Amino acid sequence: MKNEYIPFPAQVKEIIRHTDIEYTFRMSYEGEVKPGQFFEVSIPKYGEAPISVSGIGKDYVDLTIRKVGRVTNRIFEHYEGNSLLMRGPYGNGFDIENFRGKEVVVVAGGTGLSPVKGIVDYFSANPQDAEKVTLIAGFKSPEDILFKEDFKEWEKNLQVFKTVDTAPEGYEGLTGMVTKYIPDLQIDDIENTVFITVGPPVMIRFTIMEILKLGAAESSIWISHERKMCCGLGKCGHCKMNAAYVCLDGPVFNYAESKDLID
Amino acid sequence: MGYQLSRKTADEIFGRLKQDYDIFAPKLYPGEGCFSDTDVIRYGKVGSLDEIEWSKRSDYSFKEALLAVNEVLFYFTEKETRVPSCTDKKLLIFLRSCDLHAVKRLDAIYLNNGPEDFYYKRLREKARFVLMGCSETCGTGFCVSMGTNRTEEYDLYLKPEGELYRADCRLEELQRYFLTEEVSVCEAVPDYVRENKEKVTFPEKLSTETFSNPLWAEYGSRCIGCGRCNSVCPTCTCFTMQDITYRDNENAGERRRVWASCQVDGYTDIAGGNSFRKTQGEKMRFKVMHKIYDFEKRFGYPMCVGCGRCDEVCPEYISYVNIINRLAKEEG
Amino acid sequence: MGLDINTKKAKKNAYRIGKVRGEGASRIRVPGGYLKAEILGMVQEIAEKYGNGIVHLTTRQGFEIEGIRLEDMDAINEMLQPIIEILEINQQDPGTGYPASGTRNICACIGNNVCPFANYNTSKFAKRIEKEIFPNDLHFKVALTGCSNDCAKVRLHDFGIIGMTMPQYDPSRCVSCQACVKGCRSLSVNALRMENYKIIRDEEKCIGCGVCITKCPTRAWTRSPKKYYKLTLMGRTGKKNPRLGEDFLIWTDEDTIVKIILNTYRFVKEYISPDAPGGKEHIGYIIDRVGFEEYKKWALDGVTLLPETKMRECVYWSGIHFDR
Repeated sequence: MKNEYIPFPAQVKEIIRHTDIEYTFRMSYEGEVKPGQFFEVSIPKYGEAPISVSGIGKDYVDLTIRKVGRVTNRIFEHYEGNSLLMRGPYGNGFDIENFRGKEVVVVAGGTGLSPVKGIVDYFSANPQDAEKVTLIAGFKSPEDILFKEDFKEWEKNLQVFKTVDTAPEGYEGLTGMVTKYIPDLQIDDIENTVFITVGPPVMIRFTIMEILKLGAAESSIWISHERKMCCGLGKCGHCKMNAAYVCLDGPVFNYAESKDLID
Repeated sequence: MGYQLSRKTADEIFGRLKQDYDIFAPKLYPGEGCFSDTDVIRYGKVGSLDEIEWSKRSDYSFKEALLAVNEVLFYFTEKETRVPSCTDKKLLIFLRSCDLHAVKRLDAIYLNNGPEDFYYKRLREKARFVLMGCSETCGTGFCVSMGTNRTEEYDLYLKPEGELYRADCRLEELQRYFLTEEVSVCEAVPDYVRENKEKVTFPEKLSTETFSNPLWAEYGSRCIGCGRCNSVCPTCTCFTMQDITYRDNENAGERRRVWASCQVDGYTDIAGGNSFRKTQGEKMRFKVMHKIYDFEKRFGYPMCVGCGRCDEVCPEYISYVNIINRLAKEEG
Repeated sequence: MGLDINTKKAKKNAYRIGKVRGEGASRIRVPGGYLKAEILGMVQEIAEKYGNGIVHLTTRQGFEIEGIRLEDMDAINEMLQPIIEILEINQQDPGTGYPASGTRNICACIGNNVCPFANYNTSKFAKRIEKEIFPNDLHFKVALTGCSNDCAKVRLHDFGIIGMTMPQYDPSRCVSCQACVKGCRSLSVNALRMENYKIIRDEEKCIGCGVCITKCPTRAWTRSPKKYYKLTLMGRTGKKNPRLGEDFLIWTDEDTIVKIILNTYRFVKEYISPDAPGGKEHIGYIIDRVGFEEYKKWALDGVTLLPETKMRECVYWSGIHFDR
């Protein structure tokens, strides 16, 4: 019988530094994995944390880790060539099929961009698979912007609003909350539009309010929830919302089906 | 098959069982209660029938026989992990009907919610259950309301009756221990509670609307978030992961899982500082709704088995029984 | 016939000579403040028959029946007899009322009969000391309190007995909830901390109050089977130099305390000032005079301390000095 709790070592192929506290670890991994799924990543003696997959390659997965909490501080001290212990992938992840041929609007805040980055990457590489793709990504300040190199690529192929909550004087990019850019979205056919939103709970709440104002159906909105998860296996109980276990039934939920989920 | 046996014969049979099974049963731990000169009844390994507390319901449930309070998942060094071995013996767990119904709930989470749990399963497969009949109701239990006052899922039924023991063996594996001349075959129907002092009307019209009932805030203002209710509950199964390193060797250590309580601060905290249920009212609502509503939506039967331990243990005299009855009245 | 009363004898018989000529009060000691309710009816009966119907609840857990006529003492003594028997007061001659009043009533908080914080049965221990030391003319004050909260204010007594428990920790039952750590920090002395998810108790700091045990949701913390006490010495009120009792023994046991109290009676008999008014001198003043080392020698005579007992080798008192 398989012991799901035993992690496997994965080699850190490369570390991509985004900010002082946010790095992407490119981990050797070969296996089925979907954007929005997560791994439990650990260094023995410091503990485990659930980390979303932020990029998928043939022989790797990207894990974007923010230096918060006890576990991730330690991971930052590890460098290329070393191994991290992981187990997973867990969770349902995003299903590309739900978005194919649609107008896709992605609204992400901060590290919330990680779980949807796989989707954005996919449509940036395969723009013909969607009617139109818009990314609204918000960060606290210009210093907090993640995936700077990826943005250059995305800006070529997609409509991108990269905004910061606050900026020093003279900043030339967009400013304001992500919700500011929703009312002015150029949507051709709201019936054929799907929305994905990931970020802090407050951002998600206000983003959904704005999306619904556009006349979108609840079932056209997809959310990925971030919760405490000790096992990722439906056992530890921490991630439960009503009858749903975020680690098993999520983290990706359709809003129409999950709007009544209460922590 | 039903049996009647003398105390002496029962002791002899117990002695033989002990060789093949680790036997867990409710025991009285004198002086180990919360307050000075008070006792506690909780589960422990027993060496004889006399060590078993037959008369009162245990303060803590049987669950620690299957789910240790602290369980080492693996030991690690820099490069390797090693899973601790499991006991060679089988387990014999003495429990009451409410608790035997709780086993089904533990199974639901650990075997049927996502992948099977390695550690639970390897113990569960070894576990045999001995039903201790209840000749009268305990103080706070409401098993009759929950329909958990009776069970036929036991492997063995055993109950002292005066100078005799009455037994009913349903598991072939255990039958052979009773095949001695001193044992006479007779009818043995487990004793069960027909009426409790506490009666619970289960609310039928619960919905997510119930989440905003003002009663949560009311009880939340009284709750101190100690988590005793979770500790004593036979169906609470949550845990938190802990990694520790050894003081004399930083590169070796162990990963454990430890009982967690949804009533205690920190349960929903995630890295970065967010937490999802901040007030005691929200935490209590989460617990109660899980016991009487959420779990049932997922698995088809309520989680709560009506043992009443949480009512007995609450230092703030918050009555879960009363909360359910109020919900039934207010929500329908 | 004139009222001819031996007031010294009357006082030793637990009567107060009042300020109204011919009137006084009958004093009923209740060791440990623990009594069967039926005694209340008996007190009422005496107060209504011989007194003015008023009973004062004394500061040392007794009753003082006001307004009795001094010539009624014998009759009152007879009515006191059932009370004395129910309370199991040591008495040489039945029917003669309360014997001796030098050693004061042994006071106690409600203790673990009722209070969740108490670490022992205070009234039971009070009774045991009562049996050992009464009746006695020497001026001794003993009080017992269940825990370090010291609701009985035992530090104002010659002997203060504070209940302690040695917390027992079973790490395999600990869930790292830190209820004990928080409880110790907010209600006691902050002697606990968590390291590697388990609790470490600072044994030097811990006062054995038991808060960690009452806070623990899983019985990881339990009480020691053995009951422990802190013994404080020579607290007092008074006109010259009131002061708080100081710790002498920490983590000691009942037998030791009883022995030390009995030894102290011998010490006082040896050293009491022949000029002491009414044959009474506070023990503390005697110790001040002969020195703590000498007292300790007497107090510990025949005493074997528990290995875990911590003794203050030398005890110093401060307090307020009105006499300098």
